[in-house]
Amino acid sequence: MKPAQILLAGVFAAALASTAQAQTTLNVATAGDQNMVDYINDYLGPLFEKQNPGTKVRALGTGPGDAGSQKIFERLDAQAKSNAPAWDVDVAVVHEKITGKLVTDKLLANYRSGIQTANLATRDSSKAALGTPVDGYVMPMFHSQTAIAYNPDIVKNPPSTYDELVDWAKKNPKQFGYNGIKGGMSGVSFVMGWMYAYGPDAKKLQNGPFDAELTKSKAWNYAMANLKEFNKNVTFTPGNAGTLDMLNRGEIAMGPVWVDMFYSWKAEGRLNPSMKLKLVGPGMPGQPMYYVVPAKAAQSDLAKKFVALATSPEVQAEGIVKRFSWYPGIDAKHVQAKLDGATWQKLFTDVTPDDLATKGKSFPVGPYFDAILESYERQTATN
Amino acid sequence: MNQRALGPILVAPALAMVVLFFVYPLAYSLISAFWSPEGWGWANFIKAYELYRNDIVFTVLIIALSTALVGVFSIAIGGYLVLGENPRSVAILKWLYRWPLFIPFVVAGQVMRTFLAKNGMLNNTLVGLELIEPVSAVSLLDWRGIVITFVWKQTPFVALLVAGAMASLDRSMIEAARNLGASRLRILLEIIVPQVRASLTVGLTLSFVTMMSVLSVPLMINAQTPTTITANMAFRINSYGDYGVANALGVISILLTSGVAWLYLRQASKDKSRAIA
Repeated sequence: MKPAQILLAGVFAAALASTAQAQTTLNVATAGDQNMVDYINDYLGPLFEKQNPGTKVRALGTGPGDAGSQKIFERLDAQAKSNAPAWDVDVAVVHEKITGKLVTDKLLANYRSGIQTANLATRDSSKAALGTPVDGYVMPMFHSQTAIAYNPDIVKNPPSTYDELVDWAKKNPKQFGYNGIKGGMSGVSFVMGWMYAYGPDAKKLQNGPFDAELTKSKAWNYAMANLKEFNKNVTFTPGNAGTLDMLNRGEIAMGPVWVDMFYSWKAEGRLNPSMKLKLVGPGMPGQPMYYVVPAKAAQSDLAKKFVALATSPEVQAEGIVKRFSWYPGIDAKHVQAKLDGATWQKLFTDVTPDDLATKGKSFPVGPYFDAILESYERQTATN
Repeated sequence: MNQRALGPILVAPALAMVVLFFVYPLAYSLISAFWSPEGWGWANFIKAYELYRNDIVFTVLIIALSTALVGVFSIAIGGYLVLGENPRSVAILKWLYRWPLFIPFVVAGQVMRTFLAKNGMLNNTLVGLELIEPVSAVSLLDWRGIVITFVWKQTPFVALLVAGAMASLDRSMIEAARNLGASRLRILLEIIVPQVRASLTVGLTLSFVTMMSVLSVPLMINAQTPTTITANMAFRINSYGDYGVANALGVISILLTSGVAWLYLRQASKDKSRAIA
């Protein structure tokens, strides 16, 4: 045989062997950056396969940000509309914003009561996603938070509120950088935090109900006009990673980032280890990622088992907190017991649990969220 | 089976592919550009105009500028390949200039993103060579970055077409001009370029259309507003799930590229009629 044939035969044999062993495949679709796919491929998938011989976990990344979740929505929606008897996604990991729509469009299974970890997550976010009730349909995978990252060599006294930040940016033009609203969620989050600080009724923005009058109010327009003014003193960065890159190269001294991304870059040596975080008041948004099971998942029982494993205190401690520096999805007290003090502390050095409790906000409810983005676009279109 | 019936049958699969994967999606997106939750009408276009008129102008300007620069550089490269007197530099240029052709836009964007940053490789090199002061280093990650990337990526493509056309010209005319004492620049501009105008226009038209459709480069390089139409289409879909305005922007893009295509066709038919006359 020629080498190519031997190789081909080898591949074929390997493929046969793997199908012989793995009878069932669990398809997990996940939105988010590459690290989400890595989490399932490198950690959770192998663990699940070991506990359930004969299964194979296949992870499918659909891309970062809400775009990734939108793709999952469209995939399920298309299968629902074509009346497919069994859908090809068994477990999906989605962002908060699309989850409400997934539930109201009846694309998800009410599976939570069927798993033994159901009662471990009691935060608001496990009952409502941006104002839409989702109780029973979701288990939070982890919570993510945005905060301001800064270079302590340049910024000795980091601002602790939006007001101080505005002052600082005025005194240090172009030293604060963020990625606008089209380059990823850390910039969006900064803008939402801005509206909570200066816009009308932060509570209503976060909890609803939607009132179109509010978006035309004086306070709303005032906050937007101020933001436009503020934008003159900032540097725009290309994306979530772009902010960290520019911070690292010393091109900016401060900028909003995702806390988990910040820690994982630090752990990988991609970020100057002296960089620090600050959660500014009145607060900045964070969001959970949810595990959901589609209404007609082909392997729904296996899917429930998978989510139960993924939300068990052991996995949340080892995988979510220790390996990926995310805040746990289930209640912290269940996780803390499974971890050594040092690991737990590392997660809360710059942003304390107290900060999280008082300044960790949720994103605005869907219609306000869109209205804020569109007002922002309108502002920047008319300059 | 008779021959006449065979023809349509043989064409049918290809035709079905074109209808299914090109005509249908195109028609669908054209039609849905006029549909919004309020019903049929111009609502999507009005919104596209209100929010993105600067971006549309911006897109046209930077792509027109890029196209012009691509034209200049590809004529320069083609000209040197034909008229260059140092065989070694001609050989090196011939070998080098095609490289960007094999690099996808997204990779070019990624490379430029670190290359053009304020403290990126370009500025660091210039500072290291003491050509500029560190304080005067500026980030080129804005419209200039897009233009640089587009020109870098598209020049080889047009140069390939133009150089090919130039190489196949009758050299006797070039020799004659040279004997009469014309400079190389004059030969290039007055003898060679007019003769390869058709290839140049094809190359530039295709480049314009290609650049209109690139999403990765503006997303990776341009953090500012305004941004390109493609970036806004992606944003409409990803952030709002709003296909209506995205399709309206798509229709605007199609109109812009059709405008260029029309100019090109008019030029081509003029050339043809002149050739016949």
